[in-house]
Amino acid sequence: MASQDPFDCSLDLLRRLNPKNTTANLNTLINLVPDLTEDLLSSVDQPLQLARCAKTQREYLLCDYNRDGDSYRSPWSNEYTPALSDATYPSEKLRKMEIAANQAFDVYRELYYEGGVSSVYFWNLDDGFAGVVLLKKCMPSVASGPKSTGTWDSIHVFEAIDGARTCHYKLTSTVILNMVSGGDDLGEMDLSGNMTRQIESDMTVDNAERDHIANIGKLVEDMELKMRNLLQEVYFGKAKDVVADLRSVATLSQTQRDRAIHQEMITSMSRR
Amino acid sequence: MSSSDAIQSVSNFLLDAPPGELQDVISDVKALIGDDASVVAELNPALEKYNKAQLISTLLPGGDRLVIVSDYNDLGGGRFYDVESKSSFAFDHVSQKAFDVQSYILESKNAELITSLLKSLGPHVSEHYPSLPAYGVYPSSEDTTIALVITGNKYSPANYWNGRWRSIYTFDPASNALSGEIKVDVHYYEDGNVRLLTTHAIEEEISSGNAADVVRTIARKEKEYQENLNDAFVQLSEGAFKSLRRQLPITRQKIDWDKIGSYRLGQQVGLFPTHEHS
Repeated sequence: MASQDPFDCSLDLLRRLNPKNTTANLNTLINLVPDLTEDLLSSVDQPLQLARCAKTQREYLLCDYNRDGDSYRSPWSNEYTPALSDATYPSEKLRKMEIAANQAFDVYRELYYEGGVSSVYFWNLDDGFAGVVLLKKCMPSVASGPKSTGTWDSIHVFEAIDGARTCHYKLTSTVILNMVSGGDDLGEMDLSGNMTRQIESDMTVDNAERDHIANIGKLVEDMELKMRNLLQEVYFGKAKDVVADLRSVATLSQTQRDRAIHQEMITSMSRR
Repeated sequence: MSSSDAIQSVSNFLLDAPPGELQDVISDVKALIGDDASVVAELNPALEKYNKAQLISTLLPGGDRLVIVSDYNDLGGGRFYDVESKSSFAFDHVSQKAFDVQSYILESKNAELITSLLKSLGPHVSEHYPSLPAYGVYPSSEDTTIALVITGNKYSPANYWNGRWRSIYTFDPASNALSGEIKVDVHYYEDGNVRLLTTHAIEEEISSGNAADVVRTIARKEKEYQENLNDAFVQLSEGAFKSLRRQLPITRQKIDWDKIGSYRLGQQVGLFPTHEHS
């Protein structure tokens, strides 16, 4: 490896070690190299934790972006728990948009996830604003049939930089998808991990209050569709193909005979 | 963090290294704790444990067949033996290479059966393990039982994936009982980190203690398991994955974001934009 920078090496480790242990490994790294604490916490996506809003009784999601010290802000009440005296809040105008975004992504969540929890957090930037759209769904195991469970966490972090009549959006999306299956015939099977993708786009903004949410909504919807297809390909296509590369169900001599016959057929057909 | 705690922490990182990526993990770890020779030497117990548990295979100098490093053929003092080539070798747990080959003759009351098992296992492995196959048969449990181990590895770091299959069996010639475990480990890490880890236990009574019967049973159990595992991929894809997130809403249409305010979340009436009904 060319780079020996401790931060790069920490990220490289987290890309290699069992993704199920990311949170534990992150804590170990922070203990090893305390100087990297803030950089690592803001660069590494962890499975989202749930909390219940004291005021509205609604569940919301916790991440580094609604954290201030040891307190977290609820998107429903805009209040921190535990309470903070000098906490950071989005501006009044941005909070209004944040409320609308939470309503919009609540609809999105119900349409695509048919359950789960969503939370959207915005914060002000000098030349625009930024935010994160969070979605989480857990599939509990069912009593009948093979024991299989899963968890999906979507973390979409974006920046919206104002231009003249258009806005430049930069979206970084991570999906953490963990699945476990098991049973007498199968034993234990754990298929878990995370994938990250980025996209940038310039989109028209005539009416800030209305257009930002629609623009961000379209970006997130397109990105999640792409990532869902990608996850399907990697988890159920690629991983299965690699298993077949490790061990062949059919005997290799039979596979070779089949291949030779197939090749012969192609050759004889092309001779006609 | 004290230096012994730090060694303990990074040792756990080493033990978690995906197939074929130990050198990368070692390199990262050195960047965190320094590559002072005395510190690096303290990583050796973890590296040895990793190499043996992962059935790391290597070519003997001048050899053309992979030999395995495991708990079963560990002679102590950093040396291991290979029954088939009647040799022992020293193994460097950092570079994962063998050196200093010496002649070694197996002494076991089951030596004859071990030789027969090796003979039967060879064709099974060459018929079903297409990539970097390695296997070994060794006496175990103080020469009362016999360990059979098989591994196949495929490393494709240029395409950001690596994989390892391990089969570890114990055959008891006194009871003709075969027990063991199959483990599959696949890592995919292009713009992400995805890991498949499986464990499947095997318990089987074999009608005879004949080597061919033992290997036939192994072949059957491995085939059954691999078919079950392939089915499990399909079940997860069709089941849990689909239930977590739909590909499209039930309307089969993407959301009309310009009218997002007019969607209403009804429990029974479904989830349709109200403007389509009016």
